Amino acid sequence: MKEIVIISGKGGTGKSSICAAIAYLAKAELVVADCDVDAADLHLILHPENSKVQDFYSGVLAEIDPGKCSACGLCYQKCRFDAIEPFEGTYRVIDLECEGCGYCYYICPEDAISLIDQNVGKFLISDTRYGCSLVHAHLKIGADNSGKLVAKVKSEAKAIAKVQDKPYILADGSPGIGCPVIASLAGADYVILVTESSKSGLSDLKRVQELVAKFQIPSACIVNKADINPSVTNDIHKYLNKSKVQHLGDIPYADDFHKAIAMGRSLIEENEARWLPIFTEYWQTIKENI
Amino acid sequence: MRIIFTSTGEGWDAKIDPRFGRTDYIVLYDEEKDELTALDNRAIMQVAHGAGPKTAQKIHELKADVLITGNGPGGNAASILKQMPLKIFVRAGGMSVREAYDAYKNNALEPGV
Repeated sequence: MKEIVIISGKGGTGKSSICAAIAYLAKAELVVADCDVDAADLHLILHPENSKVQDFYSGVLAEIDPGKCSACGLCYQKCRFDAIEPFEGTYRVIDLECEGCGYCYYICPEDAISLIDQNVGKFLISDTRYGCSLVHAHLKIGADNSGKLVAKVKSEAKAIAKVQDKPYILADGSPGIGCPVIASLAGADYVILVTESSKSGLSDLKRVQELVAKFQIPSACIVNKADINPSVTNDIHKYLNKSKVQHLGDIPYADDFHKAIAMGRSLIEENEARWLPIFTEYWQTIKENI
Repeated sequence: MRIIFTSTGEGWDAKIDPRFGRTDYIVLYDEEKDELTALDNRAIMQVAHGAGPKTAQKIHELKADVLITGNGPGGNAASILKQMPLKIFVRAGGMSVREAYDAYKNNALEPGV
């Protein structure tokens, strides 16, 4: 089983639209993992149903047991987040300020403080209208995506692919180069970089490819909106060539991208004559090079 | 030589885990003693951030000479591993621990950065 990760560095390049188009085309061969948990969008197109839902826990918050607290005030003095306040003769934690660092828990002379695992959202395994399974998550407001959550999404997707005997996992990664992106790359067999013809598109492509190169994973790139700035597109082509990133192709600016999202369908469903040949070719090249 | 494999299981037949930081097991083969031991690393699943450096710390504690893994460590883990007298080999994902060891012996593995 091979794991393909789609990332972009920069947000808004069309990564999820491209991911959905590949998912539509190759639906019989894959399980989809939406690792872009902060801004999960694939469900808008794949319309998940019959979801198996689990609570997801990540991080901790401190909690003071007023029965054990001797009101010494040590935690109150030492908390660098000012997350502890006097309350009814003892102290209490202000949840919104607490970072869960655990300092108060370690220094409390009365062992009156515990660290409570936080329910930060839901983790879902769903059927989709394409027939392929989708593993995704819904985070609560203020909750962070994390390497932990991405690793969980991917390991569930792997387990499902094994049961269903699917040869590929298609993971939609998040923008940037942080912990969740690193976790989405860990264990990947092939990376598809989606960039756009803009200065920031190129700059963020370089940053994310640097990360991919550290993991020594083969990568290929799709340049979206390639006609809006031909000189930047030319620079992107030069960069791909220099960095030994395969150039999958250029896509000119197309209204179909936002029309398809607005209608809740993939590019290929929006305009089959135009997009089916393009994505069929991309998918063929990806499979040959993985 | 003390050779470490990132692995999805405990024995010679277990597959190499392509992930470094979030590897399920750390398998150590001590060539002199001809002894294979496995350390369960699955508690790393509960770590939200910084899995790479945590696993790198364990590699240090195991005093390994060689590390054989899949994708190779990320930036933070690599900067720790670089401080150790450790040879890193990558792209062993999908092999069994035994196959990876044989490939290492035949100089068929790719050096990591």
